[in-house]
This record gives sequence, C-alpha cells and structure tokens, in this order.
Amino acid sequence: MLFRKSVRKSWLGVKYVVKLKLNDKEIEAEKGKTLLEIALENGFDIPHLCMLKDLYYGTSCRLCLVMTSRGKLIPSCYYRVSGNEEFIVDSPELREIRRVNFELILSYHKVECWLCNRKNNCKLMDISRKLGVEGLPVCSQCPLAPEECLLKKGILCLGMITLSGCDAECIISGGQCWGCRGPVTREDILERAFRRYKELGFDLNDVLFRAEIFWNSLKEFEKIREVVEKVKGDDK
Amino acid sequence: MWSLLDKCCEKCKHSDKNPCPDYIECRVKGPLCHDDQKCKELRKKRIEELKYGIHGSKIRIPLSSCTLATGAEEIYNKFKEYILEKRLDTEIVISGCFGLDYLDPWFEVVMKGYPAAIYTKVKGKDIPRILDEYFEKKDVSNAFALRYRTGKAKGEEKVPLLDEIDVWKKQRKWVSRNCGFVNPESLEEYILSGGYSGLSRSLKMKPEEVIETVLKSGLRGRGGAGFPTGLKWKITRTQPGNPKYVIANADEGDPGAFMNRLLAESDPFRIIEGLTIAGYSIGANHGYIFVRAEKPLMASRLKKAVEEARKYGLLGENILGSSFSFDIDVILSAGAFVCGEETAMLSAIEGKRAWPRQRPPYPAQQGLWGQPTAINNVETLAHVATIMSYGLEEFIKLGTEKTKGTKMFCVTGSVSRPGVYEVPVGVSIRYLVEELAGGAPEGSSIKAVQIGGPSGGCIPKDKFDLPIDYETLQSAGAIMGSGGIVVINDNNCMVDVAKFFLTFTSAESCGKCFPCRIGLRKLLDILDKITSGNGSEEDIIVLRQLANSVRNSSLCALGGTAPNPVLSTLRYFGDEYEAHIRDGVCPANVCRAFITYTIDQEVCIACGQCAMNCPVGAISKTSSGKYSVDYDRCIRCGTCFIICPVNAVQKVSKKELVRGEVCG
Amino acid sequence: MEHSNEDYKDESKNIVELFKNLDKLPHNLIEALRRIQSKYGYLPPHAIKIAAKYVGVSYSQAYSVATFYHQYSLEPVGKYRILLCMGTACHLRGNDLNYEFLRTMLSIKKGKKTTEDGLFSVEVARCFGCCGLAPVVVIENPDGTRKIIGKANARVLRAVILKIKRSEGKR
Repeated sequence: MLFRKSVRKSWLGVKYVVKLKLNDKEIEAEKGKTLLEIALENGFDIPHLCMLKDLYYGTSCRLCLVMTSRGKLIPSCYYRVSGNEEFIVDSPELREIRRVNFELILSYHKVECWLCNRKNNCKLMDISRKLGVEGLPVCSQCPLAPEECLLKKGILCLGMITLSGCDAECIISGGQCWGCRGPVTREDILERAFRRYKELGFDLNDVLFRAEIFWNSLKEFEKIREVVEKVKGDDK
Repeated sequence: MWSLLDKCCEKCKHSDKNPCPDYIECRVKGPLCHDDQKCKELRKKRIEELKYGIHGSKIRIPLSSCTLATGAEEIYNKFKEYILEKRLDTEIVISGCFGLDYLDPWFEVVMKGYPAAIYTKVKGKDIPRILDEYFEKKDVSNAFALRYRTGKAKGEEKVPLLDEIDVWKKQRKWVSRNCGFVNPESLEEYILSGGYSGLSRSLKMKPEEVIETVLKSGLRGRGGAGFPTGLKWKITRTQPGNPKYVIANADEGDPGAFMNRLLAESDPFRIIEGLTIAGYSIGANHGYIFVRAEKPLMASRLKKAVEEARKYGLLGENILGSSFSFDIDVILSAGAFVCGEETAMLSAIEGKRAWPRQRPPYPAQQGLWGQPTAINNVETLAHVATIMSYGLEEFIKLGTEKTKGTKMFCVTGSVSRPGVYEVPVGVSIRYLVEELAGGAPEGSSIKAVQIGGPSGGCIPKDKFDLPIDYETLQSAGAIMGSGGIVVINDNNCMVDVAKFFLTFTSAESCGKCFPCRIGLRKLLDILDKITSGNGSEEDIIVLRQLANSVRNSSLCALGGTAPNPVLSTLRYFGDEYEAHIRDGVCPANVCRAFITYTIDQEVCIACGQCAMNCPVGAISKTSSGKYSVDYDRCIRCGTCFIICPVNAVQKVSKKELVRGEVCG
Repeated sequence: MEHSNEDYKDESKNIVELFKNLDKLPHNLIEALRRIQSKYGYLPPHAIKIAAKYVGVSYSQAYSVATFYHQYSLEPVGKYRILLCMGTACHLRGNDLNYEFLRTMLSIKKGKKTTEDGLFSVEVARCFGCCGLAPVVVIENPDGTRKIIGKANARVLRAVILKIKRSEGKR
C-alpha cells in the first residue's frame, strides 16, 4: 500500500525522499530506488554482475552484498529503500566476501581471453582488477584485439601462460611478453593455452625454452612440463 | 451400515446446505438437539463396532512404508487366508505405524471382552499359530504387550501393558497419540478419538482469538527454524491483500527423517484439521499440502483424507455452519530437496523451477502469486489441532521455558531401537539415544550424533548431556532441524560423513547463486582430495574460510547451512582430518584410498565364494589352496567381506599392511 | 527413442488423455509432466511440447522445469529400475558399496545409468523414509509396483537380479 502511495505521489510530481547513511556518508535518495542505484549515483563502486535491467532482477552473483546496521548481508541490487536507514557498503570484511565469491565464479569460467572479442570490454576482467583477484593470463589486459594478436604474426609471446597484473606494459611498448610475472597456475588454462600454441604452429619445446628463462627455478615449472607432455601425447 | 457421520434420525437438523455448528460434538455425545434413546443406542452400537469390529473382533495391521518394507503385505494376505480357512467372522483393518520400527512387522488383535494384544517381529509362517492362540485358546502369553487387561484371557498377568513398557512410557505421545491405533482412512475413528473438536471450537471463536491462543501456547515452528507460529499467523493476517493462502510443508527432504511421513500416513486428518484452523485464523480460503515426490503413500493417504473431509462437510462451503469456506489441494513435488525451503516451495507450486527468492519480502507479506501466505510444517499443524482440541494447559506443562511442548524425533543409524520417538523439548541427547533408542548395538560404540540432517552438525558423545532445544544446539554447532537424529559409531569416518552430506547438498543446489552452486562443489573437491590421500595442511585453512564464506553469502538456507557438517566436524573431530592428511590413515577404516581387504589364511576354508562373487575378479587361489586378494585390482566394494561364511576377510588400513603386521 | 512426425499425432491424443481433470493453467505444469513420466517412464521431447502447449507456457519454460527436478528423466530408463536410497542412515550402513557392486555386476558404463540391453537401470534416489531398515534398495517393476528391500547387501541383491534375469529368459 505504501508503494502505491509513492507511485501516486510521483505521478503528481512529488517524490518521497529518504535519508540514508552509506558508510557514514549522509545521503538523500528517492524512495523505492534500489540501494545499488543509489550507491553508484553517490560515488560508491559496488561490484555487480547478474543484475541486468529489464532482463534479470539479480540476487544471484552475491557480489553486491552490503551490510545492514544489524550485521545482516543483503543484496543491494534488490533492496528498495523505504525509510531512514544505515548501511555499510564498503569495508575490508565486505571486500573479502566479494573477493571469495568472485574467485569462485572465476574458477569455473573458461578463460580464453586470447580468443575473446570482448576482452577489452569485459566486466569480469574489470571486477577482477578492482578486487585484486589474480590468476588470469596477460591476454586479459592486452590491448591488442584477437585478430591483431602477436602470435598470429608468428611472434612468440608468452602472454597466454603468464600471470597478468602488469597491465601488459611490454606489449603496449611494442614488444612481447617474456613471462617475468610467473606462470598461470590453473591447469585448465595452461592446457588450453598450449593447445592454442600447437594450433598456431609453434613448437612446444620452443615455448618451454623461452619460459625457462624466468621460470626454471620455480616449483610450478614441473606442472607446466607435465601439461605440455599431456598435450603432446594427445596427438598419438 | 450406519456411520457416526450420518444423521441419526429425521429430527437431526444437520444437512449439507445447513450444517449444524455442533456436528462434531454430537457425533459421540449426541444427540444434542433432541432426546431419543434409540439415537443414543445407535451411537453406542457404532462406537462398539469401531472399537471391537463389526463382528466383535478385528485384526489391525499397520500398512505404512516402514511396515510394508518388512513384509506387512505378506502378513495381510496370510490373515485373509486364515479367516477364509477358519470361516472366522472378523475384519481386517489397516492402521499407520506407531513409531517403533525395530519391532516391524507387528499387528494387533482385538476381541470384545478380551485384551487387545500386540504381536511384534512376526513372520508369515507364525500367523496361523498366533491367531489360533488368540481366537481359539484365548491365550495371550506370547504377545509383546497388551493395551488393557480384562481378566479373561490366559497368561494376561505375565504380559506387560504397552503403557508399562519403558520405551513407550518414557515418551510423551502428544501429536502422535493415534499413530498405529486408528485407521488413517476413517474419519469416524478420528472424531471418536477427539479429533475435529479443535476446529469446532475454533470456528466458534473469532480468528484473532484463535491466534491469541496459539501465541499463548508458545508453539514454535517444528520445521526447523523455530519461528513462533502465532506470530507468523498474526503477521500474515494483518497483511493487506486478498486472497491469502496457507500451505502445509510435507516436503520432508532430510535423509534420515520420517516423522512427517509417519504422521501423514497414520493420522492425516490431524494435519488437515490443523491446516483448516490455520486458514480460518489467517483469513485464507484455500490451502495446499505440498508432498515430497518420493513418498507417494503419504500423498495418497492425504488425498483420501481430504476427499472424506469434503464428503462430510469439513471442507468446502460454510464449514460447520460458520461463514468460513475452505478447501485443500494436495500437490506432489517432482523431486528437489530445495523445495523444503519456503520460497522455493512457492515457486514449485506456481509450476516453475524451485528457485528460492530473496527475503525480504517474506512469504507472509508476498508469497504464493504475490499474496500473503503462511507456510507451516505438518508437525506444527498437528500441534495446532491438538492444542485446540485438548487445550493449551497440558501443552504448556511440557517442554522448556523458551520452547513449549513436545517434538517427534527420528533416531536412526547405529542404535538397537531405531524409530520415531516423541518427547518433551529439552530432554538430553543421552535420554533419546540411550534410554529410548537403546544405545549402540552389540559390538560397536557410539562416537557422535548428527542432528538436523545435511543442514545440521555433529555432536560428539561427551556432549550428550546437552538438552535438545533450538538455542543450545545452535551454540553447539548443530541445528534442531526437522528432528532427524542419526547416530554415528566408531566404524564411520567423520570426514566421510561430511563428504556425504556435501555430496547431497551440492547435488541438490538449485543453481541460482554462486556461493552455493560453485562453493559447495569446491568444498566437495577439497574433501575428495583429503579422503583420497592427497590432502595438505593448507586444505584445512581453505576449507574453513570457504565454508564460512558460503554460509554468510548464500541466498537461501540450503547454501547457508550446507557447510555446517564440515564446520562442525572440523570443530569436534579435527584430529580425524589430521590423521587423513598427516598420517595417511583413516581412523575408522572407511575411506577407500586408505584401506584394503585381505584374507586371513588361517581362517580361510577355501570355499571360493569370495572369488566367485568378486565383481572385478581380484581374488584368486594361491598355491596353498587358500584364496588371496590382489590389492591393486581390488575396488574395495566389500562384497567378499559380506559373503565370506567364516569371516576370514578383514578390512585393514593400507599402512598396516605395508608394515607387514597382517598376514595374507 | 526416435519418433517420426506421424507417430506424434497418435501420441498427442494419448498424452492429452492423461491430462483430463487437469486445468489448463501454468501451475499445473509439474503435475502434467509427472503424469507423462509415470506412463512412459521418461519424458519424450514431443511430450514436453504437448504438455507446454496444454498448460499454456513456452516450451523453454517447460524444458527448464523438466531438467530441474530429479523425478523427471529425459532419457529412457531400464525395464526394471533399481533405486538405491542415499539417505544418511543408508549411507552409513554401506549403500554406496551396494551401488558400486550393482554397477559393476551389471556392467553399466561410466556416465550412464542403464544397462546395454535396457533391462536394468541403477539410480540414486533420495530418502524413502524407511531408515530403520537401512540400507534400503527399491526395485520398480515394469508395471509400476515397487518392492522394497530392507537391509540390502550384495548377496541379496545378486539373488534378486538373477531371479529377474531368469524370469526374463536371459542368462
């Protein structure tokens, strides 16, 4: 019934305004708007993935969780404000929760940025950067489109199997990746990457030879050798 | 044949169009609106028939899922044969089950003037002998118990009364009072036992007064959350919106819990009465009973009861002469554990995927098709019917300060007397497990109990003196849940138990939110790693962190409580995890990666049964003529262990074998 | 099971027959699919379409429901269905060993649940509520009747399977 009143009033041009406190910042907002909208409008960057206007109402990705004054976690994309309330929208605790949930999502995501046309326009990559989640290859930050990929020009770039976080500096400066940040640890990404190397006509031994330069003393290198053996063995 | 539910004579004012408000009271105590000795005699005669059978005797056979599984049908046929052969004038009636599963199959014989005798653990071939003893020799000395004594049968003094037997008198049969001793399909028997007087009384009060009574009784939801029922009804009643709905949650999905099944198969009218009272209090005219797919007998008994109630005007328009109209639909689920969660159940009734919804708004505000809906567990509704029928004074006397009344608990697993027991809330775990359920059977010792199913946690045996109530269990790391208690003994591995529950919940996850869908799968992967021998210290840290995260950020209670088994086993049995990781041993010899089967050469009699039955051909004859197991081929299925007639096959940990301490 | 377009016409009549007494409303979808599952033992794709049309939902909506609930099977099951309870008590008393035993004895391939000749299917069922008799195995006969086997172990199961095989004239 309260909702009907506000609709009626807003047709008349009057909007109900409520006072909110987001992270101790006092804000005035329109009643009936979602907490996520209000927070974004006021400069709080809450990550969200599943809420798509007119398509899906959200509450599934659990990234936009904020804390009420009673310590309860609620999804901000769904909650419509109705009265004067207080919320915590960003805190080390919330960040930790968002990071763990996001890592779960990413662990099931089939990472193939080297082939993806949306790699420079990808919300998943944006959020991973903001939350500081590692594990993605350099390709996720590389400015070159999949068609412009160095590998297609026959240049050996280790970006597919190297951890990102460097913003792909070397590639932007015109060079290729030499793997200085260390290898990607997810076996499924490694396997797909080596198969791609094979497809493009590279000799896997050459790739390993290049990788050894920075990774020879790392204990993860054993695993990489195993993955290469497996990919080689699939021919027979 | 005249039934108590029919009109006694022309003077009776009751009719379909004009139901009489005193219809229920009049069935047994009547006639109330006119005085006629013949009418009184009619009732008296019928009550006698119901008690002792039309011909003065009857055989009562429980036909519910647990008894059917132990051969009740065979016994039923044997009864028919006997009656035909002896040309006996007696009838066979069905009943539900009384909860003491370890005595299945059982039956009761009644004859006017003689005690009603209960015989348990019967086999088909015993039937003629038992019935001869009772009907011809009037001898009850071999009965398990009598329901009352008459002084006329032989051996009566030596047989205990049911009420004198420990396992019966230590319970407090409040809602399950009729289970096993009434015909679930007979409305007459239910009314005779005092049923429907609750509805009759409620309809003469105002709906708000009924809610006040339920509030005063302190009844809390018996489905697991323990929310005060009166409060839920009050909130739903005061919500704006029409129509409103009430739903009975009979989707008992917890593996190891069957109290709701027992109630619905043995005394379905109680649930229907409770639901009708709920509908009246809230102002709903339509109710639904949502039944689990795997329990079709439950659904069919409830459906039949609904039809009977409709036939006699206890459902439909102007019930018992009031302005209240109500009808019920029994809906069968299609198989999803998540349907037990209220908002998921709403989606299922609406014909969609059973996806839970974010709360708030709660179902009391926006439920079925957006209307205010009250959802109650069937046990709660049975309590409502009983409180309204018998008064709340007795109810308040039982239980603890915060939780009044009784609760039905299902004790299964490693106990000598598995079954359903109804006790006042607040008894200790020890009382239930040892005094009622008989403790561990010969040769094993209890390690822990799991309370609350896949949403609950384990409690180790040194905490068995804790009282069973909502708050205490929560602080101990478990939950009351729907009341399923599984007893775990020394031969079960706690890590395996956690893995089992996680396998269940990760498969039942509806898939809507990430923490549950992916997080539970990841937890399962880690537990798999540990139980297959590849665990590391890091895994325990990740396990704890991930479990807490899934618990806090899931959308609904399924994901929110699924990590409980992991967290509680880590809390109390962390040493078992350490043993798997650090020592490479499964202390209970369960996890297959750590054990193997071996044949003791001294005991083996070379019968070859093991080799013939081994599904992978891992057993072969050695040069000495005895048999031995090829450890590399063995899949540890345990067939040889079960089949060996001389128990020569032993389960040993691989580590022991390597150390050469076991021969063979 | 492959059906040609001609078969659909007769089948549609049979299937719509099943829906008598069922209102043509979206919330009856689950019940409609359940009746088809009861009759055919699984949900043939054309049947799902007919049910969707009858209750008035889109085919994708009906498909989303058919793939969600456990009771529905989109592939044909065996003539005799062997259902093993995976409840707590049954698991503690070793029903997972029975599961492995049956799969190995009947040579059921990994990822499938039905034998090659379509005679048996070994499936996991949720709790039947007979925990006092753990471990519980239920055999569903072709005519829909069920036989509940309490305290099941490899020996008992082997005997039951051989009996069924003999009655079907197979070795």
